[in-house]
Amino acid sequence: MIEAVFANWWALPFLMALLIGMLCPATGALLITHRRLLQANLISHAVVPGLVLALAIGVDPSLGGVLSGVIGAVIAERLTSKKTTDNEAIINTVLAGTLGLGVLLIPLLEIRVDLESILFGDLLAVGPADLIRTLLATITLLLLLKTSYQKLVYLGLDPDGAAASGLRVSSLRLALGFVTSLVVVSSMSAVGVVLVIGLLSAPALFGLNQAPSLHTAMLRSACYGLLLSLLGFLLAIAFNLSPGPLIGVLCLLSLLFFKRELP
Amino acid sequence: MNNLIANSLSFSYGKEYVLKDISLEIQPGTLSALVGPNGAGKSTLLRLLQGQSLPNKGEIFLGQTPLKKVRNKVALMPQRSSINWHFPITVEALVALGQVNIPNQSCCEIEASLQRVGLSTLANKRLDELSGGQQQRALLAKTLAQNASIFLLDEPCAALDPPSRLQFLRIVRQLAEAGLTIVVSSHDWGQALNAYDQVITLDQTVLAFGTPQEVRSKLESISSMGNHCCG
Repeated sequence: MIEAVFANWWALPFLMALLIGMLCPATGALLITHRRLLQANLISHAVVPGLVLALAIGVDPSLGGVLSGVIGAVIAERLTSKKTTDNEAIINTVLAGTLGLGVLLIPLLEIRVDLESILFGDLLAVGPADLIRTLLATITLLLLLKTSYQKLVYLGLDPDGAAASGLRVSSLRLALGFVTSLVVVSSMSAVGVVLVIGLLSAPALFGLNQAPSLHTAMLRSACYGLLLSLLGFLLAIAFNLSPGPLIGVLCLLSLLFFKRELP
Repeated sequence: MNNLIANSLSFSYGKEYVLKDISLEIQPGTLSALVGPNGAGKSTLLRLLQGQSLPNKGEIFLGQTPLKKVRNKVALMPQRSSINWHFPITVEALVALGQVNIPNQSCCEIEASLQRVGLSTLANKRLDELSGGQQQRALLAKTLAQNASIFLLDEPCAALDPPSRLQFLRIVRQLAEAGLTIVVSSHDWGQALNAYDQVITLDQTVLAFGTPQEVRSKLESISSMGNHCCG
C-alpha cells in the first residue's frame, strides 16, 4: 500500500510540503516569541559552509549544515552578549560572513554544488532521506517542547527573571539554536535556506494573533503553514512553477491580504 | 524568618565601581524603600541581594546562612522593561512560572498569589489585555508564587499612573503586614516614603538608612536629592 503511494512522483514532495508547512511555522512561532527570528535567519545562511565542507569530505551534508548553523549561532551569541552593542548589525555581519565563506569554499575545495537548490530548494526532487531528516527535526522539536516547555516560556517572557531563578539560559538558547538548525537543514531540500525564513515567519504571525499560550500559537501557526504549503504545492503543479519560491510569494501575499489579522 | 544582611558590598562593571561599601540590614516582615537617582546602583544592589550577581567585595547573609546557600529564599521582581509583554500567556500561566523550580507545583499556591494581588477574576486573561497596573500586579503574583521569604521589587511603580501606584503600594503594604519582607526600589522619593517602615537612600553608597523621618531629615542637608513627587 505504502509502496504504491510512494510510486507516484508527487507523493514524497506532497508529504514533504505538508510536513515542512507545519514544522517551520511552529518553530517560527517559538522563535518570534523569543525575539530570535533574526538568529534563525543567520542560522539559515550559516548552514552553507558546513554543507559545502561536509560534501568535500564525503559526510552527510545535513550533519555539516547543522554543525555550522549552531557554530554561527554561538558566534553571534558571544558577540551580542554585551547589551550596549548593536545586535542586529552584528548578526547581519555574521550572516553575510558565513554565507560568503560557504560560497568561497565551493571553488577552493573544487567541489560541484548546486548552490541554487541549496538557496531556493527543489521540492519536486526530494527523496526519502529528506523526509526522514524532516521527521527527525520534528521529533527533536517535540522532545524540546516536552522536556523544557515551561522553561522556554519563562525564557521568552522574562530572560532576566529566568536567569535569576536559576534556569540554564545559555543551554536553552543553544538547544533552540540546534533545533532551528535542524529545521532549516531539513527544509533546505524543499524551500531552500533563503526561502525557509518566509515559512518560519508569515504563518507564525497569524498563529500568534490572540493566542492564549505558546503551544496554541505553535499549533495554529502549523495549521496556517499547512494551508499555505498545500496551496503552494497545488498551484505549482497546476501552473508548472517551482513550489519553493511560490510558497515564499504566497507567504507575502497572505500578509498583504490578511493584514488585519496580524497581531 | 531571618534578617537579610549585607556587609561591605562593592561591585564594579570592569574598572568602574557602581556600588561601594554597602552595609545594610533588612528586618523580617518590613516594607522597605530603596530610593536613589538614575544610575545610583539600585537594580545592581537588588541583583546582588538576590544572588543573581556576585559582589567584588563583601558578603550577604540570610540570618547566619550565606545567601548562596539559600538563594531560593529571595525572589526578585524585574523591571517592567525586561518583560516581553506580548508573549502569548495568560495571567494564571504567568504566575505558575513562579513555581518553575519547585518540584510539585501547587494550584493552591498560584490561586493564593492571584488572590493576594486581587487578580483572581482575570486569571484567564492574556497578559497583553491587562492595564499597566494589572500587569505589574500579575508580575508581583508570579514573584509571590516563588515561595520565598524576601521579595525585592525593582521599580514596580515606574510608568504607572498615580491611582495604580497607590493601589500597588497598598497591596505591598498589606503583604508586609501579613509577614512578608519586601524591598521596593524607586527613583522617586517624597511623601509616599511615609508608607514604608524603613528607607535606604542609595547613590553608589548608602547615603541614609532608617525610618522615613530619619532619612528625610538627613537628606535635607543633601541639596542634590531634592524632594520629588513620589510613587
